[in-house]
Amino acid sequence: MLPQGVKKTITDNPKKLANLIDLVNLPSTLREFVGQSRISRLGCFMHVWSYIKTNNLQDPNNKNVVNCDKNLRSILMGKPQVELVELPALIKLHFPKEPK
Amino acid sequence: MGKIPPTFRPAISTNSLLKTQNPTTTTQPQKPPRHFNNNKNNKNKKPTSKKPDFDGTKKLPVLFKSPDLSEAKKVFNSIVTTNQTQTPLDRSFYNSVLQSYTSISTVDNSISLLNHMIKKTPTFSPDRSTYHILLSQSCKVPESDLSSVQKTLNFMVNNGFDPNPGTTDIAVRSLCSVDRVDDAVELVKEMCLKKCPPDVYTYNFLIKCLCKCRALSTVYSFIDEMRTSFDMNPNLITYTILIDNVCNAKNLREAMRLVSVLNESGFKPDCFVYNTIMKGYCTLSKGSEVIGVYKKMKEEGVEPDLVTYNTLIFGLSKSGRVSEAKKFLKIMVEAGHFPDAITYTSLMNGMCREGEVEGALALLEEMEAKGCSPNSCTYNTLLHGLCKSRLLEKGIELYGAMKEACMKLETACYATFVRALCRVGRVAEAYEIFDYAVESKSLTDVAAYTTLESTLKWLKKAKEQGHAV
Repeated sequence: MLPQGVKKTITDNPKKLANLIDLVNLPSTLREFVGQSRISRLGCFMHVWSYIKTNNLQDPNNKNVVNCDKNLRSILMGKPQVELVELPALIKLHFPKEPK
Repeated sequence: MGKIPPTFRPAISTNSLLKTQNPTTTTQPQKPPRHFNNNKNNKNKKPTSKKPDFDGTKKLPVLFKSPDLSEAKKVFNSIVTTNQTQTPLDRSFYNSVLQSYTSISTVDNSISLLNHMIKKTPTFSPDRSTYHILLSQSCKVPESDLSSVQKTLNFMVNNGFDPNPGTTDIAVRSLCSVDRVDDAVELVKEMCLKKCPPDVYTYNFLIKCLCKCRALSTVYSFIDEMRTSFDMNPNLITYTILIDNVCNAKNLREAMRLVSVLNESGFKPDCFVYNTIMKGYCTLSKGSEVIGVYKKMKEEGVEPDLVTYNTLIFGLSKSGRVSEAKKFLKIMVEAGHFPDAITYTSLMNGMCREGEVEGALALLEEMEAKGCSPNSCTYNTLLHGLCKSRLLEKGIELYGAMKEACMKLETACYATFVRALCRVGRVAEAYEIFDYAVESKSLTDVAAYTTLESTLKWLKKAKEQGHAV
């Protein structure tokens, strides 16, 4: 029923942890949105989520859906509507794995 | 649910702690400097910290600004001269002055300052506690040998104070507080040779420190050496410490060996020993052995206490023998004990494991009716159980109560709750739980986010594959 890996916290995997909390230089679109030139993936998620909350962008009929405003659309691939389920994945797109 | 709930842990470990607490601590001179510290928190400050907090008094705002000796002498002189008109200063005042200086200076400079203080103020005659201040300082110096400790001890002896057990105790505790356990062992041996052996409290304290950070063989060889060379034998408390240590390492065979050694040495295991062994079997989820320990206690005429019953109920619940655990709840009440939040939570945990969540909720009502208020662990256990049994609505209701009481969510409970919400497509609510977990500092941001992210990833995948979620 449930994936086995979920219970294990990623915090004991240093690589995955770094991927989440390391500061990354941002592309210009994102830089405008967060108002910082560097942010971590976690920080970015928090920023976007709090932006959604403060601007009441959740659809009143279905809270699981976010109606994007102009700013949000600019960073979420221009989608007019996104589901909360895909939010982390969409934000992850801005933080590609560094080619080693 | 396999772990010992946090509220449970202190309840077990305190018994050995309580017993080994050292009555000689009261004789320790390292009381906070009375005149300077109105703030009680300063008591816990290590003297090694660079910024001593002296803002307690209006009379003496900042005492020693630099570790420089001549500066310190000047400061001391000014204190003495400005104070002449007022009431004469007593010894504890001088001791506090010295203590303040030791927190920022070197051992040599502190000794010099003490000499200066004696010379300058004829009314001040240092006592043992004055020298103990210096001793404690010299023990906390990060050095690889005992030279400065020995220097301080010699200085003390030269001034007419032979070390006593209190001296040894202070030295050992100071050394252990900065992780110099090996030095402490060496010092104890030295003190034994100087006919000033540690008392039984110091000895047990050291054994406990050794248990924490050294291999068991090291501890045993120290005990052996103390026995053969200095005729110091372990007592019941020492054995309790050892048994507790091996039980925590899940080495029950060694624990049983220690019990037989204990019997051979002429001791009779007491309630603490039995509780410790019982806890050991609990961590291994060995229900039959847990009951075995209880029966053995009864046979030996040792009266079980609250901790015994709590351990028993916890162990039985954990190993899936809830009906027996319930039986012991009755027995415990009949024996005149009041079940507490730990008792009920353990039992609820067991019931939730068996899927008897409704029963666990009924128990919550029962416990509240009896005037025992549930704690955050109780709620976490229930919430976890409710989510597992897919009684989400009740879970959300319970979460509301937790939120109102500002209770923290435990990691496992949080994860289960978030998953349960996502499973039925209530993602927005899962986000809300995430917010609460972060806000209430239940989990770190990273842990909370990671759980949320992986749950959403799993949900998306399940949806794509067309699974009914």
